[in-house]
Amino acid sequence: MSETIKADLELNLQGLMCPLPVVKISQAIKNVPVGGVIEATATDPGVMADIPAWAKSTGNEMLKVEKEGKVIRFWVKRLK
Amino acid sequence: MEEQKTVVEQAKEELEKRFSRTLAVAASNLCVHCGLCVDQCHYFVATRDPNISPVAKAEQVRRVVKGEHDWLRRIFPWWTGAKELTEEDLDKWVEAAFRNCSMCQRCVVNCPLGVDTPLVLATARGVLTAVGKAPEILVQLADAAIAREENLEFFKDFYLEQIKELEAELQKKVGDPEARIPVGVEGARFLYVPLSGAHTIMPAAEIFYHAGESWTLSMFEAANYGIFLNDPVRSKRITERIIREAERLKVQEIIITECGHAYAVSRWEAPKWFKDQPWNFRVRSILEVMDEYIQTGRIQVDKSRNPFSVTYHDSCNLGRNSGLFDEPRRILAACVEDFREMTPNRERNYCCGGGGGLVAIPEWQDIRLEAGKPKADQIRATGAEAVVASCDNCRHQLGEINEHYGLNVRVMGMAELVANAIVPNNGKK
Repeated sequence: MSETIKADLELNLQGLMCPLPVVKISQAIKNVPVGGVIEATATDPGVMADIPAWAKSTGNEMLKVEKEGKVIRFWVKRLK
Repeated sequence: MEEQKTVVEQAKEELEKRFSRTLAVAASNLCVHCGLCVDQCHYFVATRDPNISPVAKAEQVRRVVKGEHDWLRRIFPWWTGAKELTEEDLDKWVEAAFRNCSMCQRCVVNCPLGVDTPLVLATARGVLTAVGKAPEILVQLADAAIAREENLEFFKDFYLEQIKELEAELQKKVGDPEARIPVGVEGARFLYVPLSGAHTIMPAAEIFYHAGESWTLSMFEAANYGIFLNDPVRSKRITERIIREAERLKVQEIIITECGHAYAVSRWEAPKWFKDQPWNFRVRSILEVMDEYIQTGRIQVDKSRNPFSVTYHDSCNLGRNSGLFDEPRRILAACVEDFREMTPNRERNYCCGGGGGLVAIPEWQDIRLEAGKPKADQIRATGAEAVVASCDNCRHQLGEINEHYGLNVRVMGMAELVANAIVPNNGKK
């Protein structure tokens, strides 16, 4: 599945707890072009709610979420 | 066509909206510049920079308030120190109010006249938020919390799936396949409001299990970044999600996880904000609940299960701002063999440096860690092997100063410590 989305930036957020995954994504999104994608991995289950909510409120798009054991992998697209 | 207002005009309008009796007192000549607040501030203690002492920070805002409201300034502006607001002042306010103040209130406790410097700086935060000069990440975190409710259906299934996985972990931990992490249970006694993350759910779930408690987990997180912005609209909106949930589920109490600002907002601000609504529940911190369980014998604890020396950091919002000093100490007396007070403590405790939303602002990590030095020194002086804090922001900051200053301590939450100490009783009351 993960091969279908090409990421411009990969981010390892494993071990970070709220609010740091959102803080790091918010910083990193500035480093990809509009239309670019961040692929991130995290272990804090809070990201399952926090990242989609952050993406929605900042006008970006959460493309997909996958779980591989304890690791949550998600893709966020910069829209503006 | 109406001309667009300048940032300065908008700021002055916002300042006027926020002008109140309490601000008038705090921003008046009540401050006699005695300087007693100066070395009470952890920023000053760490940096020795007088420009970031409480009086110097507040004075930047006070001069502008005086410019608007002190009649003497019309005759003697030079005498009152009154000043006309400029955009450059606003940029300096960002430093004074957001970067160089964690709203810890230690200066107020130590002011002989009780000047509320944090109120002056919080007003500046509100003005800066209104004119778009607040740190972007704090705005994003507050807006994300609001979006979480608006998009509940989108993430609900993910969230519940996570809770099921945590429930399986709980069952394994307590050895009972019937152990539950309930969500959305109408008529439960407690609505427990965690933070995002398993670390605020699991220890509490274990304690509730052993207490045989009737509880249900909130769909929302307790954190309220709106309060760090001093933005009443966002703050109320974030808190309202939990109030509505409590009303819908008809719970008797809202129990706030180990989070200082979330407790202070829910306990002290929310009843004022929602005073026209029926308020059929009370708000407590999980600290108070754990203390009650231990004092009433509802859970049994064995201090030999925590065989290491422990010191306690009084979170500013739980301690100085909310008076929860004895509860954590009773819990520690029951749950650890070797408790060591740091000095000073209780209402005179130093802020860790992570409050006021600062832990979420990576750009200011350097000053945050520098301002954490008094706390690092306090911890080191105890010689304790672990430091307990009942606030997640404090724990983030303590974790970082632990590493930065090489303290080599374990940073723990109180619920984690209590869960360690529990003598299992298979969930029977």
